Amino acid sequence: MWIRGVMTGSGKICLLTGASHGLGLALAQELVARGYQVLGTGRRPHAELPADFPDCAYLPVDLTQADAAPRIAAWCARQVAGPLPLAILNAGAGRYRPLSDETAAEMAEVLQINFDANVQLAQALHPKLQGGTLGLIGSVAHKGAAGMPVYAASKGALDGFGRALAEEWRGTVRVRVLHPGPVATGMSERAGRPRDMIDSLFLSPRAVAMTLLDRLNSTRGPDRQVVSFAQVGGHMLWRKLAGGAGR
Amino acid sequence: MNVLLTGAASGLGAALLRACIARGDSVCVIDIDARPPNLPDTVTWLQHDLSDTDPALWDRIADAIAQQDPFDLTVLCAGISATGPFETISAHAHQQVSRINLHAPMRLCLILQQRGALAQGGRLVFVASLSCFTGYPGAASYGASKDGLAAFARSLRRPMRRAGVAVQLLCPGPMDTPHATRYAPKGARADRRIAPQTVAQMVLDAPRARFVLVPGAGAKLAALLGRLAPAMMTRIMGRVLFAKLKDQPR
Ligand SMILES: NC(=O)c1ccc[n+]([C@@H]2O[C@H](COP(=O)([O-])OP(=O)(O)OC[C@H]3O[C@@H](n4cnc5c(N)ncnc54)[C@H](OP(=O)(O)O)[C@@H]3O)[C@@H](O)[C@H]2O)c1
Repeated sequence: MWIRGVMTGSGKICLLTGASHGLGLALAQELVARGYQVLGTGRRPHAELPADFPDCAYLPVDLTQADAAPRIAAWCARQVAGPLPLAILNAGAGRYRPLSDETAAEMAEVLQINFDANVQLAQALHPKLQGGTLGLIGSVAHKGAAGMPVYAASKGALDGFGRALAEEWRGTVRVRVLHPGPVATGMSERAGRPRDMIDSLFLSPRAVAMTLLDRLNSTRGPDRQVVSFAQVGGHMLWRKLAGGAGR
Repeated sequence: MNVLLTGAASGLGAALLRACIARGDSVCVIDIDARPPNLPDTVTWLQHDLSDTDPALWDRIADAIAQQDPFDLTVLCAGISATGPFETISAHAHQQVSRINLHAPMRLCLILQQRGALAQGGRLVFVASLSCFTGYPGAASYGASKDGLAAFARSLRRPMRRAGVAVQLLCPGPMDTPHATRYAPKGARADRRIAPQTVAQMVLDAPRARFVLVPGAGAKLAALLGRLAPAMMTRIMGRVLFAKLKDQPR
């Protein structure tokens, strides 16, 4: 099978940030469907989890708090005795607006959630991730986006971080930076982009989640990958032709 | 000309400051160090720790900036690094790199824009690094901060052009400055590094229309190879640079 499991005898376990909504929720659902034990985190409390949140552990922790990374790592250590085979750092935030409409505090918050928190998490999880895979969820905006300069900067930084880390950790932890195109999670509306025709073209969270997981599980492919229309479309078509492979 | 410089106490910033003084500019400096003696009156020196997150301090800087005439040239030079295997560097050091190299220049841009401190027809130069083309294993948070800055500059390019400001991204390779000497692997040859005066002059002479500025033939070649074969260049950086940094006692 061309889709390979990450498990190396240590079970299918995945730590997933931003599991409470959007793409992370779709990732959590897909992981559970594939038989993973998921350790999900998000900002909202348990009581506000969506109705279709899958059957998995959940820790509410705000990534803008200084002790977020050590808290998540400690929780992870309590839940998982052995090594952690997979961590997906997916939590993210951003606003669709020009620099002139930003505030210093909100700018710092987006950088912290999308970039600094992931640096802190990578460091805190490093001992437990030995032999495993670290997936960083970026965005196609990492190359720059006139409509959302702060978000683009945070994702650009994440890309550069993953690029260096993949090389440093080669042979011990597999690092992948995956850059999704626009996903229909409501993030962009909440981010302030007006709803229009273009929204109907956004990728489905489930299709993106499936593609991301298969990319993370594959030992092949470059460290940094774009997962947008062409890749997701091609991947879903391939799965259909292969008869729902991978489950 | 009215010039704003960060990190002008040493390295590239100091070279720029000297060159600007020599051509008669009035210069406003933001630096963590105190004002050095013997600077002419045309230099305003604001002492400020760019890693400080206290809003009151930033308000002070914003007010001081607003008192100046709009800047024809802004060069955001201030930066630090942290080298070695990522996981062996303290979380605090990584955070300082992110604050000084990424958060601070973005915050300054916000201030400059909101206070109308960028002159029409002027230039805003972000100092990134050649690592934007090659990746930087051995300085993961530093490389990240510079890539973040590059994405920020790319995003601002069009909106700023509409406001009459040219945004530019300077990507120097190793310079012969205290910064490079501090962070390079032991035994690295200083004579191969480009002089900060040369880079400073290139910045001052750069045509407005050019976005990416890569000083020196060696760096230009590395940038070209990085564009053509990014993954290969990162592997090479890993072999020649990270391998040395990893093995050296710190
Ligand atoms: N949607 C897109 O078009 C798109 C495109 C490219 C890349 N991406 C990236 O994909 C990832 C997921 O995006 P999405 O569209 O699924 O966004 P989303 O629907 O807004 O979900 C974001 C997730 O991150 C969590 N989160 C946000 N701020 C947090 C904080 N301070 N502390 C802890 N958790 C926090 C949220 O938790 P709560 O809901 O509990 O607050 C939520 O689970 C992000 O990294 C995003 O940048 C999205």
